[in-house]
Amino acid sequence: MNRRKFLQVLSAFGVAGTLPMTLGAPSWAAATATTQRLFITVNAAGGWDPTALIDPKGNASRADGLGPVNKYAASAIKSAGRLQYAGYPDGIEPPASTSAGHLETFFNKHYQRLRVVNGIDTQTNGHETGTRFVWSGRLETGYPSVAALAAAPYANQPMAFISNGGYDFTDELVAPVRTASAATFTSLAYPNSQYADNAALRSQSYFSDKTYANVKAARELRLARLRTGETLPQRAAQMAQLEKVRSGDMKLDGLLAYLPAQVSTGLKGQAELAVAAFASGLAVSANLNLGGFDTHGTHDEDQTAALTLLLEGIDHLWEQLVLRGLQDRVTVLIGSDFGRTPFYNTGDGKDHWNITSIMAMGAGITGNRVIGATDADFEALKLNPDTLEPHSSGIIVTPKHVHRALRDFLGVSSELDKLYPLNVERLALFA
Amino acid sequence: MGDIATHSQTLRQTFRQNSGRWSSHGRTWLSSGNVLSLIMSFTLFALSALFALSAISPQSAHAATGADSTPVFAHPALTIPRIDVQGYGSLNLSLVLESEASMTFRIASAAPAAAGLTPGATYNLQTQELTIPTLRVGSQFYSAQLRFISADRLQLVSTTAVVLPGQTSYQQLCANCHGTDGLGGSVGVSLKNCSNCSALDVLGTRINNTMPLGNPSACIGTCASDVASYILTAFNASASQQTGQALAAIEPLSLDATLRNAALHLVGRLPATAEVALVTQKGEAGLRQALDGMLEEDAFYARLAEIFNDVLHTNRYLSTNGAEAAIGLMRRFPTSRWFDPGVDLRGSDFTVNRTTTNNSVATEPLELIEYVVRNNKPMTEILTANYFMVNGYSAKSYGLTGINFTNEWDPNEFRPAVLPGTPHAGILSSLMFLNRYPTSATNRNRGRSRLVYDVFLDVDILALDGVRPDGSAVDISSDAPTMENPDCVKCHTLLDPVASSFQNWNLRGTFAPPRTWYTDMFQAGFAGVSAPPRSSGDSLQWLTKQIVADPRFDDAMVRIMYTGLTGHEPLDGPAAGAPQAQTDAYLAESTHLDYIKAKYVGANRNLKTMVKEIIVSPYWRADGLNNIAFSAVHEETGAARLLTPELLHRKIEALFGFQWRGPLDQYAANRNVFSSARLLDTRQYYHQIYGGIDSFTITDRLTDPNGLMVIVQERMANEMACYGVPNDLLSTRTARRLFPHVDTSTVLTSAQGQAAVRQNIQHLHRYLLGEELALTDAEIEHTYALFATVLQQGQSAMLGKTETSSLPTRCMRSNDMNTGASLNVAGGVDGRLRNDNNYVIRAWMAVVAYLLSDYRFIYG
Repeated sequence: MNRRKFLQVLSAFGVAGTLPMTLGAPSWAAATATTQRLFITVNAAGGWDPTALIDPKGNASRADGLGPVNKYAASAIKSAGRLQYAGYPDGIEPPASTSAGHLETFFNKHYQRLRVVNGIDTQTNGHETGTRFVWSGRLETGYPSVAALAAAPYANQPMAFISNGGYDFTDELVAPVRTASAATFTSLAYPNSQYADNAALRSQSYFSDKTYANVKAARELRLARLRTGETLPQRAAQMAQLEKVRSGDMKLDGLLAYLPAQVSTGLKGQAELAVAAFASGLAVSANLNLGGFDTHGTHDEDQTAALTLLLEGIDHLWEQLVLRGLQDRVTVLIGSDFGRTPFYNTGDGKDHWNITSIMAMGAGITGNRVIGATDADFEALKLNPDTLEPHSSGIIVTPKHVHRALRDFLGVSSELDKLYPLNVERLALFA
Repeated sequence: MGDIATHSQTLRQTFRQNSGRWSSHGRTWLSSGNVLSLIMSFTLFALSALFALSAISPQSAHAATGADSTPVFAHPALTIPRIDVQGYGSLNLSLVLESEASMTFRIASAAPAAAGLTPGATYNLQTQELTIPTLRVGSQFYSAQLRFISADRLQLVSTTAVVLPGQTSYQQLCANCHGTDGLGGSVGVSLKNCSNCSALDVLGTRINNTMPLGNPSACIGTCASDVASYILTAFNASASQQTGQALAAIEPLSLDATLRNAALHLVGRLPATAEVALVTQKGEAGLRQALDGMLEEDAFYARLAEIFNDVLHTNRYLSTNGAEAAIGLMRRFPTSRWFDPGVDLRGSDFTVNRTTTNNSVATEPLELIEYVVRNNKPMTEILTANYFMVNGYSAKSYGLTGINFTNEWDPNEFRPAVLPGTPHAGILSSLMFLNRYPTSATNRNRGRSRLVYDVFLDVDILALDGVRPDGSAVDISSDAPTMENPDCVKCHTLLDPVASSFQNWNLRGTFAPPRTWYTDMFQAGFAGVSAPPRSSGDSLQWLTKQIVADPRFDDAMVRIMYTGLTGHEPLDGPAAGAPQAQTDAYLAESTHLDYIKAKYVGANRNLKTMVKEIIVSPYWRADGLNNIAFSAVHEETGAARLLTPELLHRKIEALFGFQWRGPLDQYAANRNVFSSARLLDTRQYYHQIYGGIDSFTITDRLTDPNGLMVIVQERMANEMACYGVPNDLLSTRTARRLFPHVDTSTVLTSAQGQAAVRQNIQHLHRYLLGEELALTDAEIEHTYALFATVLQQGQSAMLGKTETSSLPTRCMRSNDMNTGASLNVAGGVDGRLRNDNNYVIRAWMAVVAYLLSDYRFIYG
């Protein structure tokens, strides 16, 4: 409903001819201000259980008789630096310790780059509302995801924002791009090739180079003529948008050079494509998405499986970033719709709970730190907004605070910030 | 009457405040073409002349249809639909504000007042004063008095703010949901031309019995009738003129073009000759008749399922999201996996039976919609049906016997059935719906309730303005905050009664009444009415009857179909302070949608009626504007959309006679393989990239192109040109779709050849793009130039040995497309097409690729 916003924002940033550009003045590293900053969100879709991950409680019975929060002993809770992480529930077979998704393996490897914020109150237990709040900073509709905000200044890059589903509302600031297999990308990297997936035959084209150039030139001239003569504003706007997108320089073959020979499935595959798109300069922001966390039944079994896949995916993402030398340019934010109840239902499941956590790593993030806390019943504790330490007269942290801090950290421009204001205390959650 | 100076100042300020809004896009009430050229002196004698003139002057169509009598000031025009002049009769009078400093008006036009109006002003011949008891200025009301000063001019001498009966009650009780301007909000519908706004008593009764939601006793009797009167006066006044002007500015597609677009969209084919003849002979009536036929075709129901799945997403359980994604939800049915005799005993039909069964279960809600529409039943039945739909495969899974299938192995033969002991409630009790929107012990069906409001009542509860606490913790210290905390109650008073009505359907979507239901939430009910005791039946069945009786259910159906057919959601009501153009746009569109809704409701809520009305509406047919002054009003008008992958897939097949699946020599083997369909398959090909949804993790279509999507278009154009051009030239001229005027030897060396090429280009523009162009049209010349250039360069390249006469390998035709048999039968004619000795085929390929990547092909 706000088609004009896209062009207005582009205009406000003077995009044409000035790319690449930064999001603004990065707050975290002046040394990298001249390089393009990149951003990834990882969504654990369905509502993860922080008490099974980075806000562990143990199996002490609750005073209200609802049973334990977790089904592992408090003594099973472990530490990696300042981070505490959960043990595996009784009766659940953990993944192999060699698996990157094993809790101990993962946290021992990554704790020094991980920053955790616990005790975030999402104020909802509805999936749609939760994902919207967690990824946009606003409970109500209307704000783009932070990944889309990060991509907005680069909106005329053809793959600026890669979305794998989840909350990817952009408010038309930038066109989200969805992905598929490596073979699909190959076919699109060489649209005039009859045998794009065969390097030896790739040069066999449908049209000669000369003919193809003629077709493309005629097509763009025709589109310009149509737009000029169009009197229906909607169609004229569509034509203008098509012209703009077509004018982008995709260079997908560059992306292919950074893709593994065999692209993985699931979250790992999403990570590989995002990193390849970053490395080739096509994308600046991506949201990755993994389901399986809505564990209303057999929680321990299913949540453990989902968390294992999540941690394996994050580890793989990190390895890909390192492989491409991007670990100092990419900030990764990991979160979920909300949390799960600090007690089990009659089906050994856990239902929705409004308290959650986030994890951040990568560029600009100082790891080995935990901010925020919850009590024994997994209720959020108030924080002193200055010291970020628990304080009874402090404030409850919400996703709105997280996004306020995140925008400041990422250097989201004042223009975008004014378009989607977040009037809330500024907490140095990522500084 | 108060102090004249004060009141004049008040009105003057009001005028100034509104002047920026009402004059922002240069329109006044006087631009409708009905201004009398002669401005008369407003004297006793002039009145006589005015009456004489007005009797022979053309009357505004809008004035003739406007039933409201309230005078309106919309800067700079003051319109009085009916003014009675003692001893003379009734006039429709327009004045124009000439001087804001002196508040002087000039008489701009006069016409006989339309029949049925009540007097909105009087003119006293003795005092020469014009008195307007109620003058509408924006959403405010005043009484005003003007005095004749000279010639054709009057001066405002006093105003008094008027509070209409019901106005205060409206602002206190109704405005929160319906908006202060009556244009609706996230919960309340627009009260402009609302379904109950046909008459004062109808609206009054509605308010008296049901409003405000959740507390109808707050406004009954006089309060209800006063509020009804206020709504009719304040929000249903003078919209018709604005709406009429806005709609008149739309230049519609020709009926022929409308027929083509409708056929491609609704049934994925070009119009039949008989359909074209119908339109030629009968005009719009013929178009409607042709549409009647289309709406009986299976292809229409496939499209209908897509439209409804875009909001329900129950196709999440199709086998593309898991081989047994739907069957896995049927654990309580012992025969759910009837097709599996055990791993060691599986036959060759195991996979097809499993897939067919799973998809038959998965599509059950959409099959119910098809059944209702196909059989001309009212759409209300999609919620009130006390049955669900099965075919032979899914019936076996449910363990149902005795259903009279004509062919139990026909996957397309769905019939109504009843699960024993199950009080079906249409889609809402569907296993697919209930699992797609699961609940939990803490959620207590609130998620389901929210969706019911959103999809079936056109109410987005999550968009309620200002009611959800934000930025600070919610006080949930009481035992039942959702019933006691005012911040919570605002939403939960709507949400929870519907949620409680689902109480007999458990977390897994099974009918399993609990022993008790929660007492710390609002109990089952709807719109302030409590559900009957549990002993009298299932509350969900009761709920569906309430929902379909609510006018918002009709709004919801219109929204779904309008969005599905145009690709654009109906406009939201303008926010406070929005430009006037947005208000005008909303008024015009919502008024027309109300008209469509009325037709649909009048046809016993037959969805086919609604589809036809949308197709023939100016919004679907919009092809341009005949008055650029309305550009801002029509910024979002039209049904042009980037075709979805499914729509593009079908359009390609309709025009080429085959689908985009790869080279035609392998088509016989690929044609029924899902994974070879370039625009339908997600993993290897382009469905997801091109904006499609899987109804699971991706539920929103991409409606604007991105960098990858334009490359998909490019590849599609290249491949389809490669496959389609040689294939068409294989056929005899009379059987061809693309090239009825040329052959592979038709070149440009003769005037005859040049004319044939131009004629064929004209045909291609018509056939592929729907453009009717004269042979002399510049676009024909542009395309001709492309053909000529490629032909000349290609022939030169062949002479220079940089290109050969061979077609690109994948464009060659060696096998029959449908059978796969060789086209070079031993002993017969070699029917293959592998060479392009004149470069003509490749030149036409270039032209077809050019046209297939055109805006008018990929949008529709």
